[in-house]
Amino acid sequence: MTAEIILPILQILVVVGFSPLVKGFINKIEARLQCRRGASMFQPYYNLVKLFRKDAVVSETSSWIFRATPYITFISVLIISLLVPVLSSQVPLNFTGDIILIIYLFALARFFLVLTSLDTGSAFGGMGGSREMMVSSMAEPAMILSFFTVALTVNSTNLSNITSTLLNNSILLLNPSLILAFAALTIVLIAETGRIPVDNPFTHLELTMIHEGMMLEFSGRYLALVEWASSMKLLLLLTILVNIFFPWGIAGGLTFSGLIIAFALYVVKIGFFAFLIVIVEMSFAKIRLFRIPNLLGTAFILSILAVISLYVVR
Amino acid sequence: MVEHTSHLFVISIILYFAGSLFALCFYGWQRVGNYISLILAAIASCFSIATAVVALSDGLTIRLDFTVYHAIIKYNFLLDPVSTYFILAISVIGFVAAVYSIGYTRLYVNKCDTRFLGFTYNIFLASMLLVVTANNAVVFMIVWELMTVVSFFLVIYEHENPANMKAGFMYLIMAHIGAVLLSVAFFIMFAYTGTWDFGFDDFRKVGSHMPLIYKNVVFFLVIIGFGIKAGIFPLHLWLPMAHPAAPSNVSMVMSGVMIKTAIYGFIRFYFEFLTPCPPWWGVVVLIIGASSALLGILYALTERDIKTLLAYSSIENNGIIIIGIGLSMIFKSYNLMALSSLAMMAGLYHLVNHAVFKSLLFGCAGNIYYATHTKNIEELGGLIKRLRVTAPLFLVGALAISAIPPLNGFLSEWLIFQSILNGFHIPSVIVKIITIICGAVVALTGALVATCFVKAFGISFLAMPRSDHAKKAKEVPVIMLVSMGLLASLCVFLGIFPVKVMMVINSVNIHLLNTNILPAITSYDWLHTKSVQTNFTEISPKSATVLGLMLLAVTFGVLTLIKPRFVKKIYETWTCGISPEPRLEYTATAFTRPFKTIFSNLYRPQSEVRTEYSVPNFFVKSMTYVSDVAPIFEKYFYSPVAQFVLSMSNMVRWVHTGSIHIYLTYIFITLIILILFVGK
Repeated sequence: MTAEIILPILQILVVVGFSPLVKGFINKIEARLQCRRGASMFQPYYNLVKLFRKDAVVSETSSWIFRATPYITFISVLIISLLVPVLSSQVPLNFTGDIILIIYLFALARFFLVLTSLDTGSAFGGMGGSREMMVSSMAEPAMILSFFTVALTVNSTNLSNITSTLLNNSILLLNPSLILAFAALTIVLIAETGRIPVDNPFTHLELTMIHEGMMLEFSGRYLALVEWASSMKLLLLLTILVNIFFPWGIAGGLTFSGLIIAFALYVVKIGFFAFLIVIVEMSFAKIRLFRIPNLLGTAFILSILAVISLYVVR
Repeated sequence: MVEHTSHLFVISIILYFAGSLFALCFYGWQRVGNYISLILAAIASCFSIATAVVALSDGLTIRLDFTVYHAIIKYNFLLDPVSTYFILAISVIGFVAAVYSIGYTRLYVNKCDTRFLGFTYNIFLASMLLVVTANNAVVFMIVWELMTVVSFFLVIYEHENPANMKAGFMYLIMAHIGAVLLSVAFFIMFAYTGTWDFGFDDFRKVGSHMPLIYKNVVFFLVIIGFGIKAGIFPLHLWLPMAHPAAPSNVSMVMSGVMIKTAIYGFIRFYFEFLTPCPPWWGVVVLIIGASSALLGILYALTERDIKTLLAYSSIENNGIIIIGIGLSMIFKSYNLMALSSLAMMAGLYHLVNHAVFKSLLFGCAGNIYYATHTKNIEELGGLIKRLRVTAPLFLVGALAISAIPPLNGFLSEWLIFQSILNGFHIPSVIVKIITIICGAVVALTGALVATCFVKAFGISFLAMPRSDHAKKAKEVPVIMLVSMGLLASLCVFLGIFPVKVMMVINSVNIHLLNTNILPAITSYDWLHTKSVQTNFTEISPKSATVLGLMLLAVTFGVLTLIKPRFVKKIYETWTCGISPEPRLEYTATAFTRPFKTIFSNLYRPQSEVRTEYSVPNFFVKSMTYVSDVAPIFEKYFYSPVAQFVLSMSNMVRWVHTGSIHIYLTYIFITLIILILFVGK
């Protein structure tokens, strides 16, 4: 019983605590590869502390939606961090929901962010919001089909069950349909978290902005919450990807030593995937807005192939 | 018990008709007549809600047979769990809409005859209840026609507007084509019953000994006949015309429950009359559902008239319900009864969810129209500060329809996904692949719905008002807000306490499919909250909501601890140095522009820029931008059909000479042919 209470708290602390570090790590590596020194890995923390200390400027055209959105975004991502297996494949709260709930909780956060982008009455916000909806609508079918492929392989949409089944029968991971699903999910992850080549997280320029365009009007605590939520989203999606397709090392139960090992391996795995994101960002330029559907279409085709091959082989 | 319940039902029908007649009595006092009829409608709805609740909780099957001396038609009615489930949905929406109308009809005082609205409105509600309870094909066709005709009069209520008349006639014509096909279906089946009763009880026995070829014919007749009412693509044309033309309180009922009577028809035919069905029927129904869902939402996306947008979205939601029904048919034809029940549960759950949130959204659209006198969302904006109560109500509806947890749309979408995933039990590989691709379509549809309703809410309620209409808007009468609040709380209730709804649907399933899956799909977990469980996973919206509230409290507490005095400076939006104006805001057209480009094969977007110069080629006086999507269904489906009908009638025109002698000869020849035919 105590473990069932401690583990969710531990999980939330890991996700909340380490998500800015992942962003800082990505920025640092990227800077080093571009022969810059770059800001410290802990810069996102400094930014958050600074922002939390500040007051906020609120647009006079905006309404209560604007002030509620940061909380709703933050909370929905926090709920997700309780449902995803991070260190142990046994998530005590897994009865609350499955992967479908997680996808729709992300949709909840996005719904309110896009509303806020329209709330201030500036054209930049609307532009960002409209593009965000475009990218996410294209990404969602691919995402759901890839998760369905995984779910049909292990007969569960519950992330705890998925992870523990794949941990115990790792041979399933060599299934070609799972490899296709992994490829599709990787593309979706890049699109959903707004990284190059879909979106450029470093600029606020009109031509490139999708995700950043929506956050333009936030300041102070609001900006901090939204920024933190978006870095948590990145970490959570990475965690889902890592723990489904590379479950080795994750604790099967709730023992202390198991959790320590799991944590060490978790850091290594997330670090490796963050590094891969950097490599992708370094090797591609941002693609044109109306080329994005082609990229996500590729992900969709991959996921359809994944599920069809699963059915045909069975 | 049975007797009392049947009395409740009869009382409610009598009250509806009494209400409609009372409305006509008050010649001088139109408003009084209207109010009395609406109040009677609300009371009658309470009676029918009571009927449904009693009948469903005890799982009763009630027969009502009215024997008329030497009657040709047998007036038989049956209230089995399927009927009572629909009665529940219809009367809940009917009650809310009646209360809402008390406020909304003030819009028409001194403009139109409000007594007439009360008169037709009551008959409309009663006819829907009779449609879902009729147990005889003749009675069914009579009340089905009554429903169509009465709703036609409601659609053309504002008949001064020629567009409304056109919409009404389109509806009437298409509904009658559907009715003709349904009568043919009934006649084909009647040929195999061996009695003259036309009773549904005889039709229930006919499925086993009808030849397959005739069953297939009936299948297609029914799918088109009811499909027109359900608005499936490409038979949807009347729906986005008629629903916006009707007054909002009527659109609530039409979109919320009237189009669901078609689903009722599907269930009666495919699960009772024509059983056993071959698997490909279910596949056809599934594909029709999926394509209606996707096309419906794609057209809703580009729409700028808020009520047309909602009407297209009704097509989409009906598509999702039909997906549930189709899956249930597929599973049933492979004898996977538990899965068939699961899919049926998903479909019926979505049916009642859609009834609730679509009525809520139509009601809020009515509030917008009441306050601003416009339905064009490009002219709205900033309403959140003017319609302070309507805005959160619309937001609840928009979230629910976008399947955002913890509201009700999410649960039914989740059940649909679970049913689709369970498609792997189907033996045929092709059918399996079709089901999973339908899953992808549902996912895409879900994402597009969110976009569509972000647009609908964001453009009409947020930022600055784009016109004087919106600027001068004032909140609507309290009674309209109260009734909408009722629906909004239903959205929350149906989302957070799904097990209660499933218990109700389960009694339908026990009756229809002889399977009780309730014990299998609900369970208690270690926190003793009841969750919904399938063979894939489980979900507990209640626990998710509680978690969310707890986390919100903690976050808020921590933030207040860090910085107790959090000051919000109010300042105008930065728009690169010029002062913010409504002209700078993003519009609905701009918001959906990326989708128009991506799906340009479907939309065939047409746009035109006209420029007027005061000094040619130098000083622009005014610019006009016109943009629209091509009506490809009208162009490639309806006009060829219309052309064909016209040319056919041209060909047989020479028969109509106008001379009575020739006509008498025709009658004579027909008579002789008939005698020869019968004599043989």
